Amino acid sequence: MAESGSIPAGQQAPPAVRPQGNPVVAVLSAWLVPGLGHIYLKRYARGLAFFVLVIASLIIGCKLEGNLYTVVAGQPLTILATLGSMGMGFPYFLLRFGLHYGGNVMGAGYEYGTAFLLTAGLMNLLLVLDAWDIVRGKKE
Amino acid sequence: MLSHFLLMVTYALIVSLFFTLLWRRDRREQVKLFLQIFLGMVGGGLLVAWLMYPFPSGPPAPIP
Repeated sequence: MAESGSIPAGQQAPPAVRPQGNPVVAVLSAWLVPGLGHIYLKRYARGLAFFVLVIASLIIGCKLEGNLYTVVAGQPLTILATLGSMGMGFPYFLLRFGLHYGGNVMGAGYEYGTAFLLTAGLMNLLLVLDAWDIVRGKKE
Repeated sequence: MLSHFLLMVTYALIVSLFFTLLWRRDRREQVKLFLQIFLGMVGGGLLVAWLMYPFPSGPPAPIP
């Protein structure tokens, strides 16, 4: 009987992925600019593709005048939504404080735009986790 | 040009491409996963829309 954690007979060990890069730089850059963490980790094509996808979602959300969440007193779920939206990193703060974007609740595409904007933030949070896995050598 | 269907397809396209690139490396597996997610989202949306079709839409809800 094989020991727990050992490789069963007849199977090859998965190729070890060598940890690379600075974890703090990778995670911070991945959060600040969508795809930048992957580019830092030399996954250029993937990083560029992620950048395009997240920014596309962001632009569509803004064009539809969706809500860029902020915390509303008495509505605890807006805390989670705000954290999710902040996941998009620098673009969130640029939109919120630089361009004073707030969405338009009367806009015809308000609900759709909100979904696109929130999705952009959540996708970027997943990219941060992915960059973390790559930098720790858990993922290729 | 605000079409519900077009927006749904665009959303499904972005999300399925994202997860395909995030979760798969092999091209063949990427295509497979992309089709699964994309068709699942669009098909699921159409199915839910079809199930809701008999319900009356009613007047729009007042904006708080």
